[in-house]
Amino acid sequence: MTPLRVAVVGTGSFAREHVVALSQLSGVRVTHVAGSDLGRAQSVAALAPGAIGTTDIAGTVGLDGIDAVDVCNATPDHKRWVIAAGDAGKHVHVDKPAALTVADFDEMVTATEGRGRTLMVGQTVRFQPVIAELQQQVASGDIGDPKLLHVTWYTGHVWPNGWRGWQLDTALSGGHPVHNGTHSIDLAVWLMNSRPVEVFARQFATFAANMPMPDSFQLLVRFENGSLATLELCYALRQPGEFLRRIVLAGTEATLAHSTEADPGLASPGHPVPPASIEGALAAQLAHWVHSIRTKEPFLVTNRQARAALMTAVAAQQSLDTGQPVQIEQTVAL
Amino acid sequence: MRVSFVSGVRHAGPYLEILRHDPRVELVGVAEEPGVPEWMLRDSQHVARRAETAWLPSVDDALDPDRVDLAFICSEPTRHARLAITAMKRGVNVVVDKPVATTLDDADLVLDAARDARGFCSVINRTHSPALRRTRRYVDAGYLGLPRHLDVEFLASGRHFSTSVERPGLVIDPALSGGGELLNFLGYCVDAVRYLTGLEVESVYAMTGALFGAGHADRGVEDTAVVSLGLEHGVTCTVTVGRVAFAPGLGPTSSSIRLLGSHGHAVVDDDKPAVLRYGGHPALSAHPVGGDGSAVALRLFLDHVVGRAVEGRAPDYGLADARAGLAVIDAAYRSVASRAVCAPAKRGGGTADGAAEGSAAGAGSDAGAARIGVHS
Repeated sequence: MTPLRVAVVGTGSFAREHVVALSQLSGVRVTHVAGSDLGRAQSVAALAPGAIGTTDIAGTVGLDGIDAVDVCNATPDHKRWVIAAGDAGKHVHVDKPAALTVADFDEMVTATEGRGRTLMVGQTVRFQPVIAELQQQVASGDIGDPKLLHVTWYTGHVWPNGWRGWQLDTALSGGHPVHNGTHSIDLAVWLMNSRPVEVFARQFATFAANMPMPDSFQLLVRFENGSLATLELCYALRQPGEFLRRIVLAGTEATLAHSTEADPGLASPGHPVPPASIEGALAAQLAHWVHSIRTKEPFLVTNRQARAALMTAVAAQQSLDTGQPVQIEQTVAL
Repeated sequence: MRVSFVSGVRHAGPYLEILRHDPRVELVGVAEEPGVPEWMLRDSQHVARRAETAWLPSVDDALDPDRVDLAFICSEPTRHARLAITAMKRGVNVVVDKPVATTLDDADLVLDAARDARGFCSVINRTHSPALRRTRRYVDAGYLGLPRHLDVEFLASGRHFSTSVERPGLVIDPALSGGGELLNFLGYCVDAVRYLTGLEVESVYAMTGALFGAGHADRGVEDTAVVSLGLEHGVTCTVTVGRVAFAPGLGPTSSSIRLLGSHGHAVVDDDKPAVLRYGGHPALSAHPVGGDGSAVALRLFLDHVVGRAVEGRAPDYGLADARAGLAVIDAAYRSVASRAVCAPAKRGGGTADGAAEGSAAGAGSDAGAARIGVHS
């Protein structure tokens, strides 16, 4: 089997994880790691045998010698490199959030799917083992119609680089509902199989009172089919790496529930590891991406779903900005 | 402590069962108003028989201060306020089943009556839940720093509707219940939030639905709601509440809270800790340590009420607490109707933000009252 030749755009911590995961997949060869800092690009490239570190991003995504591009740099640059890769005829994987605006995302889809190639948004949560089990239960029909979702998602995580961290600048990150909320919003869209039509949000800051992007927020969501959801996110648990996630999904015939409190696992101070219920998600996600490119099977994450989630996240940030509920005019079916 | 019941159609059974085994309590009997539907009469008589207490010929007998020290009001919610006022005027101590009233106007009338009453007036609540009390100790000890957010979930099982609720109409018929599950359950959640934080709710946004087919949709009331609360000092809270098909707990209801503080977090769960039993029927069962969370919270509150009454003191949960909860419920219903953020109406007509939202109390009209509980 001819290996799928992948160039990775990005040199941050997520790019590092992507390169490691991709290089461990059979039938995949990471050819390049491209970013703005040559030293970092070379350092990340060293994780994949034979990969080249480079600052020539534009030249890399257009190379004839690559088949696909994995874009996992900072969000504001996603659009530029996804479109460039699409224009060059590559399949593209883009880290979440795919874009800062729905209009940007639509352009990215046009530049890829519109040219007969593919675009998959990396909604890693869908590939977590416990989420896959939840979705299978929903898909089996045994719980009836899902009607009420409650996701509580707390962790201890501080973005790197202190006040210099780009994530704190909402112009670059889109705000917390966009930057990290797309995880749980996408999950909600997927599990409820309906488009959000109304969102209300509140936020609070624990790390510092004047954070431009507070570490915690909550959303109330109403779906087109009348279902409801409460989605909570907090990054301010005291211990770095600490993780508490609880999901309750009530259907008309049964209720599903999972909490990481019940996960068996490691208790070793200074060695935080992901709970068993979520481990291995990125590797599964990238394996799925590669498999679907090869087989032309549909991606688990459809761009209509990703679009609906992004539109909701943007609306949630608008709700935070105004203090008011926001009605969402979804114009594309799931 | 001589205890009577005025009406027994709602929750009287479990209250009587606890009280009849309290050696400090002498049950005087149960009475019902004249002119009520025949089923109410039968249900009230039934609970009196089951508790092996007397069927009293009239409400006057149940509220006779020469024979009764403490009267429980266990009618359908829409009679609560009027019966509580009647009882206070007779000079007995009063405990009203929740909600204390179905409109803020009525709640304020109860408060007015309490000002001149000889005894106390309290309302059934769950703030004596051991899990809640434990977490309050954590807060008071400073272990959590300052509370920043609460994630409250209170769900009941619709599939247990026929056994956990005497008659579904008591919850879903607005003429009896005054509203849907927001009115039925949100007060518990607000009680917990106020108890843990000591903060008042300043703003409310709510979304509701009739989603689970237990009859709510037919009656135009909600079975489910998600609610966002803004508290003083920028503290936030979400409440996920309702009657779903199956609550994610061990009994007919489940209740849990996640409290985020500036220096730590805590989890409150009425079903935990629990012991699992493998084998037997059912093949797997869980047994909360100390007993069913709802039952324990009730037993401890009634124990507290009787103890305080014996001492001649009022319980630690009063009408102001109940009124604060009802004001949040009222704001939630107004929020649903207007699709806007609403402030709980303060006593005397104002709202926290001064907005003229036509609250039941603020407008002093029936319009606000009529809106309560009607699902739009």
